Amino acid sequence: MPSALKLQEQYGDALQVVFVECQGSTRDQYEAFAWKMKWMGGRAMWTEERPFQTVGNGLPETALVGVDGTILMQGHPGNFGSKLEEALAAEIKKIKSPPEGTSAALKKAWGSFLKGDVAAALEECDKLGTDEAKAAREEFVTRTQRRIARAKWLVDEAYLVEAEAHLGQLAKDVKGATDLEPLVAAETAKLTEPARAGEREASKAYAAFAEQVAKKKPFDAANVKKAELLAEKHASTKSGERAARFAALSKIKPAG
Amino acid sequence: MLRTFALAALACVAAAPTALAGVGDKVDYKFRQAPVNAMGVAGFADLRGKPVLVDFWGTR
Repeated sequence: MPSALKLQEQYGDALQVVFVECQGSTRDQYEAFAWKMKWMGGRAMWTEERPFQTVGNGLPETALVGVDGTILMQGHPGNFGSKLEEALAAEIKKIKSPPEGTSAALKKAWGSFLKGDVAAALEECDKLGTDEAKAAREEFVTRTQRRIARAKWLVDEAYLVEAEAHLGQLAKDVKGATDLEPLVAAETAKLTEPARAGEREASKAYAAFAEQVAKKKPFDAANVKKAELLAEKHASTKSGERAARFAALSKIKPAG
Repeated sequence: MLRTFALAALACVAAAPTALAGVGDKVDYKFRQAPVNAMGVAGFADLRGKPVLVDFWGTR
């Protein structure tokens, strides 16, 4: 567990760690457990749904899924030695490279896309006009639309601090892409809507609180009190609900 | 008793993997309930383009 968290911290947004609880704890129980262990506060996500079957007879078990979605390794982490980290480093390298088998003609388009210049990548594909270029264009648009959908989700769920960061990067990346730029601008405009002022303030307050307590003593009485005060001050906002949930989690008994 | 059994059975169904994928297979799993801290990620398709480390663990 801590080694996966260290990798998440080391690689940041270039890696996604997904923790899958397999011993029947409820969502409340494993989230409370993770807070208590000071494992929260990073980018890792937590679920009890197994995205695919486990192969071993016990826990822990680790699987590495490559940049193209293929399961590359799976088993007890102790059996991998340095192979897991080597394979992971190789996948991280691929993030900045076109997929294997990309023709020389399309490398420029992929290069632009991977540097974040979506408009230049799309333009290059249109200029080439080949079937391969059309497929690449579709891939660029799909990936960007997924990022926009994620930004929309962040805005709708009032994770406004995170949405602002995500949209800031997206706005730079889609500049000049006529079909995509307005979609990003529409979500960005929502951030400053007067109707969201309360959520904006609450989102900032809760994000700062969560960051501050995650690596210290999250469920220390003083922190729980702070969460309760935040929940009271920002009642009827989504971040206020998150603060109330944090306080409630502090009272959850571990599974046993 | 019956209720406890029903809840336990439900938990098993909910936690069961829907994809019988292994090494060499592609993962296209979509979460039924967004993971904690998912931040808008609905499934593995949303993570395409970056590696994913899946850590199966237990709290007990």
